[in-house]
This record gives sequence, structure tokens and C-alpha cells, in this order.
Amino acid sequence: MKKTILYFLKRLLVMLFTLYIIATATFFLLAATPGDALTARVEKLPDIVVERLYEKYGLNKPVMERYVTTMVGILKGDFGESIIYQGQTVPNIIKEKGPVSARLGIQQMLLGVSLGLLLGVLAAVKKGTIVDWLVVALSILLISVPNLVFALMLQQIFAGTLAWFPVIGWPKENIWFGGWEYTVLPTLAGCFGYIASYARLLKASMLDVMNQDYILTAESKGLSRFEVVRYHVLRNSFIPIVTNLPMTVAMCITGSFFIESVFSIPGLGLYYVNAVAAQDVTIVMGETVIISAIYIAVVFITDILYTIVDPRIRISGGKK
Amino acid sequence: MSEKLLEVKNLAVSYHGYAGEVQSVRRVTFDVNKGETLAVVGESGCGKSVTAKSIMHLIKVPPAEIKEGSEILFNGEDVLKFDKKRLSQYRGGEAAIIFQDALAALNPTMTVGNQIIENIRHHSKVSKKEAMAQAVELLRMVGIPQPESRVKQYPHEFSGGMRQRVMIAIAFACNPQLLIADEPTTALDVTIQAQIVDLIKDLQREKGTAVILITHDLGVVANIAHRIVVMYSGKIVERGSNLDIFHHPKHPYTNALLEAVPRLDLVNKQVLTSIEGTPPDLLNPPKGCPFCTRCKYCMEICCTEEPPTEDFGDGHEASCWLYSLEKPAEDAPFTWEDK
Amino acid sequence: MATKTRTLTPEEAARVDLGRFDAEKIDRPTITFWQGAWYRLRKNPIAIIAMVLLALLIVMMIIGPTLSGEEYIKINAKIKNTDPNSQYWFGTDSMGRDLFCRVWIGTRLSLIVALVCSFIQIVVGCAYGGIMAYCGGIVDNVMMRIVEVINSFPSLLITLLVMMVVGKNVAGLLVAMCITSWCGTARQMRGQLMQLRESEYVQAAQMIGAKPVRIITKHLLPNTISILILNLCASIPSYVFTEASLSFLGMGLSGDVISLGVLISEGRARMSFNAYQLFFPALILCLAVLAFNMLGDALRDALDPRTHQ
Repeated sequence: MKKTILYFLKRLLVMLFTLYIIATATFFLLAATPGDALTARVEKLPDIVVERLYEKYGLNKPVMERYVTTMVGILKGDFGESIIYQGQTVPNIIKEKGPVSARLGIQQMLLGVSLGLLLGVLAAVKKGTIVDWLVVALSILLISVPNLVFALMLQQIFAGTLAWFPVIGWPKENIWFGGWEYTVLPTLAGCFGYIASYARLLKASMLDVMNQDYILTAESKGLSRFEVVRYHVLRNSFIPIVTNLPMTVAMCITGSFFIESVFSIPGLGLYYVNAVAAQDVTIVMGETVIISAIYIAVVFITDILYTIVDPRIRISGGKK
Repeated sequence: MSEKLLEVKNLAVSYHGYAGEVQSVRRVTFDVNKGETLAVVGESGCGKSVTAKSIMHLIKVPPAEIKEGSEILFNGEDVLKFDKKRLSQYRGGEAAIIFQDALAALNPTMTVGNQIIENIRHHSKVSKKEAMAQAVELLRMVGIPQPESRVKQYPHEFSGGMRQRVMIAIAFACNPQLLIADEPTTALDVTIQAQIVDLIKDLQREKGTAVILITHDLGVVANIAHRIVVMYSGKIVERGSNLDIFHHPKHPYTNALLEAVPRLDLVNKQVLTSIEGTPPDLLNPPKGCPFCTRCKYCMEICCTEEPPTEDFGDGHEASCWLYSLEKPAEDAPFTWEDK
Repeated sequence: MATKTRTLTPEEAARVDLGRFDAEKIDRPTITFWQGAWYRLRKNPIAIIAMVLLALLIVMMIIGPTLSGEEYIKINAKIKNTDPNSQYWFGTDSMGRDLFCRVWIGTRLSLIVALVCSFIQIVVGCAYGGIMAYCGGIVDNVMMRIVEVINSFPSLLITLLVMMVVGKNVAGLLVAMCITSWCGTARQMRGQLMQLRESEYVQAAQMIGAKPVRIITKHLLPNTISILILNLCASIPSYVFTEASLSFLGMGLSGDVISLGVLISEGRARMSFNAYQLFFPALILCLAVLAFNMLGDALRDALDPRTHQ
């Protein structure tokens, strides 16, 4: 027990350290970028105003001083105010944009992962038949078409030509359950990748498990094919799936940059891209740190999940 | 004559690979009586494991193919013609198998108890609690200490010998009439090997189970088998009682195998001999006797024609041309008469 | 005593010298690992399709732009947004430039960028992984921590940031896309090399006095190269993807440089009026990625010794 606590503490320290590195790297990358957020805006302003503006955002101070201020701010949970949009702060943005990206991500994931797993099981159980062949062909096709192209295609066909769904936009009210017509196309466009990758992953994993001796043992107990798959194959072949899931979740949270961009969905991803393009230092800093924190936490959860699904792995070390 | 439990007739199994057809088992016929132990002996790749899996109908088709004319009669019923329902009663309930590598043969993510229960509950309608009690009893029976706490553990928490005991517990869960032990001791330490063999022997005596013991180790066979079948390159070359095979081997291969077993009981120091050469390629099996390329007594006919099966009485048979000679070869220890 | 089945004639009973079997032993020709892999690859229709597709793409990439007899930068306002016809096979863009030429020029750049990135990834990954495995101990420990930290970066965010710093040009794109990707390769290499070093056959080779060169060329390389090939087949499509997506977001290449991503981005602007301007670059992109994915799949099957039958 003591060992476990120690392990968690160690991991926590490493996570904090990683986060610190990311924040530092982000800061210096931003500082190294030629020009700054105000360059374009202040071109035609009188010098005195420019000076005041720079002072307001602290952009006139030396890099190291700004670095310290920023880091102290992050420690306090204060990322500062947006340089482009006055009054906009990171917590506000997360509160406002987070649910949008999260809903899109969750819908994509639920649809994509469940369909993918279904197809994977089908392909593995029906190995060598036309069903298997179709699933393999479908998944390789789906994986070869970028989300981006899918999004554009769906938009063109179902929103443009057929006009079944709105071309762009996102439900403004009832952000979690309203306005389904807006979410259909982005969800579809994003889920294809998951379908393909999970189908392939599960199929490979199941075939691997089916070749193991303990499947023979299970068969020699007289279990039916269904029972063997249900009780022995699935659990063991889900190990790579379960450990892959958190990464998918993390990707969903960070938002699908491209799909949000195609459908003009006001999510975190789109906002982040715009902030980077406009060199909105405070916002980029804030978003990077928060998204990275989520990401790192998810990696940690993955490791814990390993120990739950595979009893051979102990929390404090690798395989026994 | 005691009653026959299992009759394997003309069993032939081939595997289809990209290099061609590998004839793993080539027309094998043998039988097992109720309650007896039959040992199938042979070196690796001679088709003994494939035979074992065929009896459980565990051969995957494709890539394998069970040839037309093969029959495996269990109490007179052909296992190969069983439908799904009958097969699921047969497997685990009437016949059980244990494999060489118990770690690989146990599901790593399932507790040992659940793996035993699975077998019990599949064949009889008992509650989970009752089945668990039975599982504990089974573990006690196979000699696992503290079975109450051990049932909740996972296979990787057991030692090699203990795992094999668990496998035996699973196999005996439904009191099968036939147990197939496919190299049960090969992966174990010598000291543990003897324990496992003794355990199988004791359980067999207690429950009256027939056992097919598959091994390459003649030492394992000596004190447990009633009858022995010697296989070579997919065929049976000699069969007979334990005494016959160990004391009056009739086939040069059996003889060579026995000479290759280290023995401590012989006073005069005996040179340990090995069998030169390698078994034939089963992709392209030789026309005549499969052993001809390694046989000290190889004759012209051995390379061209399959040897006849000679009957030496009391079920002792060997397939060899040496017994068709006009007078026995001087250098060969094999004669008709030494029985 | 039972009766003899048959009595042999002296000719039949003549003893045979076992030496003769060595002479007439007809062995299966031994095939090396690579011969086996190549054999399995050739037998796989998917691999054949992928290789043909790739060959076609590469040929078109080289000669495509000259085929139509048009120039990819020639602006011609009179023929802007022409639908595909016999002269302009893929039509023209909003500035009247021949799309057929532009698509192949774009493919050229996209694939070259992907190849160079994959190359960098593998070279850096191998070197880093090799050093980790070779040195072991504290060096390995520290280097592994670095990899772990980099691995927990959200890579797309970092790529975007780096792109901002280094500028929207080809060199910048290379740096931005490679900055985190080599970690995976390094990790794999380290794992594989450590495992190999511990493996009994490498130890056996060392024991009988094989020179390091021999161990590297005969044992380490063949056993890592299949990992690298698979790595290559997986990373090329992902770089093509990333490049296209970055350019699409306006964070990748821009200006006069033409890549598939830039073309898709341009095509998107005219999507509702001239869908072909989006369709052709997207199609070629998908075909290229498809070919690499199919080849990768087929290679994985071919290189996996467990699929030997």
C-alpha cells in the first residue's frame, strides 16, 4: 500500500514537471515568434498610445521578467487577459468553448468507437469470409481519407447539394442536447477515423488472442464458440482497446481542429488556431497548459487502466 | 478383454501451408480401454500432439484437414461426426485435455477458480457457490495448499508445477472418462515431473479414468503406462504392453529410443547413444519405411515399400521388414523368438 | 509364433549404407527471411495493388506536370475556373492555372516532405534509441525521461506553435512536423535493441567471438529493419495528412509553394461552385495515403514471422 502511494506521488511529480516544461517551452516559442499580437494593430497609432498598450500587456518588459510573471500567474491560476479580445480570459474561454468541443468529441467517440468495435469483432469472428474482407477494405479506405476531406465532402453533398443539414454552425441554446441537425455532419466526419482504427485494432488483438493456448483449453471445456469469444477472447483482446481509449478521449477534449474549422464550430480547437495565428500570447499559454494538463492526466489514467484490465501488471512496476 | 473406450481408426491429418501439404498424421489406428493408461511416445514433430487434438476435435479446419476415412470412436460414437451440442457435452464432460505449457493454457485475466467453475457449470446445473465449493475441493484434491485463498488468484501467481495441477483440476472437474495429457511434464523441473505423473496416476486409479499420455520422454512412461504406442513421422511403428516395449522392443526405432534414455540402474557402464540424422520431411514423406534413413539395419526394400505390420501376440505389433528375412539378421537383436 | 507375412529376396534384403541418404537428400531450398517476406508480399493481391498504385503516382509525380503541355504558374484570367475538358484535364483554378499540372507538382512536394520527415524521424529515432540501448544505465534513464516528457506533449499544439516560430515555409514545416515524432521510433528501437541484446542468439554469437560488425549486420539490423519499414509505411501517410491539414488551417505552407494541402485549401474556397477544384487534389491525396496504408498492412503480414505457414 505504501509502495502504491509512493508510486502515485512520484508520478504526480513527474506530471507537474512535464507540465512546467511544456509551459516554459510554449512561452519561449511564443517569445521567439517574430512580431507580436499588437504589431498589426498599432501600426497607425501614435507612439504614446502604442507605448501605453505595450505597457498594459507587459510586452515591453524583458523576456525573463515576463517569463517569471507568466509562471507566477499560472501557479496562481491566473493566465491573464486576452490581448486581442478585451476582457476575455482563459477560464471564460474554457467555460464557453469547452462544452462545444466536448460534445462534438463525445458524439464522435461514442459513434466511432462502438461501430469500430462491432466491425472488429465481426471481422475477427468471421475471419476469412466476405464479411472480414469487407471490414478490412472499409477500414483501410476510411483510414486513408483524412477527416478534413470527409468533412468537406459531407458538407458539399449533404449540406450543399442536398441541403439536408445546415452548412456551418453549432447549436447556441441547450448546448448539450439541442440542435442535432448541426451536429450530424461534424460527428460523422470525425467518427470515420475512429471506426477504422478501432476495427483494425480489435481485429488484430482478437486474432492474436484466438491463437493462444488458453482458447484451446476453453474449447476443450466444451464451451460454445460464442461463449469462448464472450468470456475468453473479448476480455483479453480488450486490453489494448481499453488502454487506447483515454488517448481518444484526450484527442476529443482538445477538439478536432480541422472539423471545427470546416464547419465553423466555435470550439476550443478553432479558437486555439485563431489565437496562435493572432499571437494572442496569454490565451495560447493558457490553453496549451490546460489542454496539456488534461492530456498528461489521461496518460496517467491509461497506466492505471492497464493494471485494472491486466492482473499480471502491478502498479509499481512492469510485468511480473 | 476389457471394454474399449476410444478407438482411433485410420486417422490422417494434414496441414496446408504455402510450401505444400504437410502430412502430420498418416493413418494412425489405436484404441484405449476403459481405465487404462496408454502412452503415445515419439520425438517432436511426429504427430502425437495433432493426434491428441484430433481426439478432442480441436483441430482447426482450415489450415488443417482431417482426411476422409478417419474415425475416432468414443464409446462407439464418431467424435468427428458430433454436432455442436454433442461435442460440447463431450469436451470437458467426457473427455478432457491438459497441455504442455500450463501458463499459456490458462487464461491470464481470469481467476483460477472461475476457470474451474466454468467447466463445472457448463456440464452440470449447479449454483455458483456450489461450483466454487467444488473448485476448492478439486484444488485440494490435486494437492494445492490453502485452496480457499488460491481459487481467487490468477494463473501468474502460481508456480509452474502448481499451474499444471490447476490444469489437472480443470480436467478432472467433471470426472471425464478419458484424460488426454499432452506432454504434461515437459515444461517442468525433473522433481516436479515425478509429482505430476504420480498425481495423474493416483487420480486415474481413484476415478477409473482412461489416460492417453503423450510424451517424448520414455522415463515418464515407464511407471505409469499400461500400453505404449510408438509413433514416428506420423505413423505408429510399434505398439505393445509396457513390458513388451521396454524389454522386448521389436522395431529398430524403439530400440534406438531406449538406448538413448540415460539409465542409472545398469551396473555395467553403458554408452549413451543418440539417433543420427533427422526425421523425414513430412511435406514429402518417404515411400518406404519412414525410419529407413536413420535405421542401422536399413535394407533396399525399406526405401521402396512400406513395411508390413508384424503381430507378436498379445497386442504387440511392429512395422518392420526385418521380420521378413529368411533367417534373422546376425547383428540385429530382433527375432521372432525372444518372446 | 505368427506366420511371416512375406519372405524377402536377397536383393530386397541387401543392406543399405546410410551415407547414401545424405547424398540424395532432397532438401527444401532454404529461404531467407527476406525471401520469405517477398514471397508472401507477392502473393498478396493488396500489396500488388498498392505497389502498382504507388508506382503510378511516382511516375505521374515526375512526368505529370509536363504531360498536359500547360504551365502550372501561368495565370490566364480568360480561362479561370474552367471545368475539366480535353485541354485542361482537371480544369483550371480561380486564376486560370492548369490544375492537372498543379496537382502533380503538389503531390511532388507533399510526398517529398513526408519522405524527408520520415527519414529524419527514423534517423533521429534510431540514433537516439541506439544510444539509449547501447549506453544503458543513467544515460538511458535520463534520455528515456526526456522521451517520456516529449511524448506527453499534445503534439499538434506544439507543431502549430513551432510553425509560428519558424515561419510558413518548407524548412519550417519539416522542423515542426518532426519535433515530436521521432520519440516513438526511438522508444521502439530501444525496446527492440535491448530485447535483442538480451536474446540468447545474440549472446551466443558474442560467446563464439563474433565481431561487433557481424552482430550488428547479421543480428541487430535484420531484426530491427522490419520495424523500421513498418514505421516508414505508417509515418508517410500521417505526414501527408498533417501537412495537408496544417496548410488547410492556414498554418502550413503558403505563398507560391504548392502542396496537396495548399491545393485543397484553395479548392475549398470554390467548393460550392467548382467542386472539381477540391475533388482532384483530395482524390490524389487519398490515393497516395491509401497506397501506403495498403502496402503497410501487407508488409506487416509479410514481415511477421508468425504468419508463416
